[in-house]
Amino acid sequence: MSTYWPWWAGAIGLALVTINHTLITDRSLGVSAAWDRVLHWRRERELERMDEEFADDQALAEALAAATAEHFGTGTGASTVPQAPHEKSQSREADTESAASERPAATSLRPAPLVTQAALLMSIFLGGFIAAVASGRFHLRYDMGPGFRDLVTADSTTMIAMLFVGGVLVGFGTRLAGGCSSGHGLSGCGRLRPVSLVATAVFFGTAVAVSFLLWKVI
Amino acid sequence: MRTRGAVLLANIITGLALGYTVTNIGFGDFAELNRMFTFQDLRMFLSFAGAVVILVCAFALLRLRRTPGRIHAGVIPGAVLFGTGWAISGGCPAIPIIQVASGYLPALITIVGVIVGIRLCRWANARYFHLDRGSCGL
Repeated sequence: MSTYWPWWAGAIGLALVTINHTLITDRSLGVSAAWDRVLHWRRERELERMDEEFADDQALAEALAAATAEHFGTGTGASTVPQAPHEKSQSREADTESAASERPAATSLRPAPLVTQAALLMSIFLGGFIAAVASGRFHLRYDMGPGFRDLVTADSTTMIAMLFVGGVLVGFGTRLAGGCSSGHGLSGCGRLRPVSLVATAVFFGTAVAVSFLLWKVI
Repeated sequence: MRTRGAVLLANIITGLALGYTVTNIGFGDFAELNRMFTFQDLRMFLSFAGAVVILVCAFALLRLRRTPGRIHAGVIPGAVLFGTGWAISGGCPAIPIIQVASGYLPALITIVGVIVGIRLCRWANARYFHLDRGSCGL
């Protein structure tokens, strides 16, 4: 008898987490996106500062008017509007475009503040720790358990190499595909987004194939 | 638009609940994960699939708009890489965190790998791929 939750409890739990997050924040849940933003925090902070500068619609309109006037060489309005935001936006255009490609195309919402994404990752750790301690499953281990030992490797050096390579593939793959099991799998499939359905089918199918290789062949 | 404090509180609650739920389902246990992927035990697969079914119904009832997503050139190769890494290391981006929280210290190596992979992807995309990859969660 497994000590883990039955399937229906797990399904309800995962669904409730996703629904609550979506309703409260107006945003989709996505752990790999949170990782990405936290890891590139310097650029994200710059973008947040730029967003704050243009949070006021009036200021944005004035800056755009100044930029237009400068572009067409009339000089009209240029003297009444500070130039710094425009120059700043020009110099950071490439960065902005790059980061904009990380954002959902169909939403007008700004990304959640950087600090909230870091809080999400830390809270996952805390929630996992509470669950492990409360269920009596918490034990400090220097390996990944009997399953990993039997199916992948029992050698500690090989284990480290496999975990690192696996982690790199996960990190690279999720960002290349634009989401992971929470973003594409739960939020995206829940909304029946074609890209999420395709991504989930492919990453799940690949994991099935590789797991069969580990189990039956290697 | 939600306030910064509301989003922070929501993310803390979400993180706690997600970590608690995923740990109790067994996603951090490599043996359980392999049993799911090899269909020896359908419990975790049904948890995931059941959650998606509930979400489809809930999002339809709540009339949440369906955000479009373009199937770009990175989706399939990215998903193949992710699926391979998930099967090898037993971790998707949230799982190594709860593995460490459950006492599996080597999962720290997986986290380092995830960090390297994410940074490598952004660098490679800016330099070579130039894909508008979109994002599921912000």
